[in-house]
Amino acid sequence: MTPTLLLVEDDARLRNDLDLHFQKRGFAVTACQCGNQGLAAVQAKRFDLALLDIMLPGMDGLTLLETLRTEDDTPVMLMSALGAEQDRITGFTRGADDYLPKPFSLAELDARANALLRRMARTQAPRVARDDALVQFDDEVQDVIHAHQRAGLTASEYRLLMTLREHAGEALSKAFLYQQVLHRIYTRLDRGLDVHVCNLRRKLLAVGVNHLQIQAVRGQGYILIDTDRS
Amino acid sequence: MRRHPLLWKLALLQISFCLLLTWIIWTWGLSAERSTYFLDQADRLYLARYAQQAEQIWRDQGATGIEQFRHRLADEENTWVAIIGPHLESLGTTRLTALESSHLTFMRKLDWPMSRRLQDELPFVSIEFPEAPEQGRLVMQLPERLLPGGLTPWTHVLSHGVMPTLLAALLGLLIYRHLVVPLNRLRDRADSLKADDLDSAGPGLPLMNRRDELGELAGAFEHMAERLRQSLNQQRLLLRTLSHELRTPLARLRIAHDSDLAPEQLRARLDLEINDMQRLLEDTLDLAWMDTERPQLPTEPVLMLSIWEALCEDACFESGWSPRRLLCLLGTDCCVQVHLDSVAQALENLLRNAIRFSPPQGKITLSGWREDEHWHLCLQDEGPGVAEIDLETIFVPYQRLDTSSEGFGLGLAIARRAVQLQGGNLWASNGTPGLIMHMTLPAAHEHQP
Repeated sequence: MTPTLLLVEDDARLRNDLDLHFQKRGFAVTACQCGNQGLAAVQAKRFDLALLDIMLPGMDGLTLLETLRTEDDTPVMLMSALGAEQDRITGFTRGADDYLPKPFSLAELDARANALLRRMARTQAPRVARDDALVQFDDEVQDVIHAHQRAGLTASEYRLLMTLREHAGEALSKAFLYQQVLHRIYTRLDRGLDVHVCNLRRKLLAVGVNHLQIQAVRGQGYILIDTDRS
Repeated sequence: MRRHPLLWKLALLQISFCLLLTWIIWTWGLSAERSTYFLDQADRLYLARYAQQAEQIWRDQGATGIEQFRHRLADEENTWVAIIGPHLESLGTTRLTALESSHLTFMRKLDWPMSRRLQDELPFVSIEFPEAPEQGRLVMQLPERLLPGGLTPWTHVLSHGVMPTLLAALLGLLIYRHLVVPLNRLRDRADSLKADDLDSAGPGLPLMNRRDELGELAGAFEHMAERLRQSLNQQRLLLRTLSHELRTPLARLRIAHDSDLAPEQLRARLDLEINDMQRLLEDTLDLAWMDTERPQLPTEPVLMLSIWEALCEDACFESGWSPRRLLCLLGTDCCVQVHLDSVAQALENLLRNAIRFSPPQGKITLSGWREDEHWHLCLQDEGPGVAEIDLETIFVPYQRLDTSSEGFGLGLAIARRAVQLQGGNLWASNGTPGLIMHMTLPAAHEHQP
């Protein structure tokens, strides 16, 4: 099924380029140049993903986001030339699923769009079995037991490990992991995930788990390698 | 609780003035007034001469002569006169009446003060015979015209009007000098600021040594001027740097566009220049944000070791270094209470610099120790280090020691600002060999679980 995308951007050149790019990727794109058009489009049909500029003529992106939120849970990615510092001052991204400060690269946009689509798909997908010959996963207290030793993971670390394990052998983008594990939007300078990964590695090693290795994938994110299975 | 040094100073000044005024009027006024109750030297001689005449007559002519002299003198001076012997008896032919004798009980000498204060009566003056004082004396009621006038209205005006006025004026002058002269100096300073003379060191500076409200005012003023100077300098520097740093990549882009590059090369060039410009913009805004907003960054307990590992992973990717060349001597006990992203960014900056200036196969070491409530971290490389005089310059925004090197001279400035915002500090020193970057960060109260 062709995924549908709502694109609201007032800059004509940028709108055309993004439109072309997503069409090439197989999206059915509805491109609007102002908030009111966007609103009309939203009321006409459902979208799989919305890409909104914040500063728009007429109704701005944030108002549009609010209206969208009252109708359904379409994932929304905000774009803005307001930098990270304005974001830090006002915290205006509340309610959005992701935030992409301009300028951004198409690769970054794709990674984030994929993360959002994937998250939506995941909510319907069945859970993967969690059995492991060597390690016990204790969902109750959110911890890992190996050779009768508890690793002492925090909730975030446990979530991180589970997310990586469900996609073992597959590189997961940082944008996706931030959404999934830390429940927040990934920004360029955010180091939270990296530090969680390092803590998790250390705790796993401390209880002697050697077969689960979390590796960084340059420019993409993290991958979990299960050396027993491969 | 605010102290009020100026209040006490002024109160002390006023109190001293009041006491001084009271004291002056008390002593000087009184003595001045008293001094006017004495007979003039001429009058004393004038009266003494009568006694001399009386003595002469007593010796030459006896009682009858004295009697005549007494009457003549009484007529001349229009007053009461008696010449008496050692036992207060009259030396003339007539005896003293009881009333006259009573005058003798209250006599004054010539050098005593004269006043008609008692019973509004002119005083009686006793003048001994100059040659034989034991034989007699002349007693006379002081003639009205010789009575000292006491204080004249003019001297009253002088002592109770002019003199306090002068003293008050003096006090006013003192207060003026104490309060308004420094204010004038501040105003001059403000005027020079208004005239954009930001570079001259303040003439208001000596004022800052005062330990009162005006000293505080001068301090605040200097602080403001300093901040103004800084931000103006920064603005000039920013303008110059931006125009240079943005023009340069734009020029390179323009040339690349005009020359016949292969599409792949052109794409690579575009990527390079765009990244450069984007980083310059973001760093500039970052620094400006920290400078103007002075934000309170939310802190959390963080293991330094984990930050280091995350950074090393990226650094090794970028530089192709082997992880073995990046050493960390910190254990899991080094837990700091910081804003994770900004500390990571700061350390990343230091690490990138260290890698850039390291010799082939050089090592970089992160070590640290606990100092009371802080962790003192040291990042040491084996590079050439930095000249002693430049150890501070490297933290100044847009200052590059080596203009040919990449970067905009913002990394260390941002790192220092971010660390300072969290109650830490960042500075550099030279090691043997290499450069040591020192960073202090507040220690976490509890270990991360």
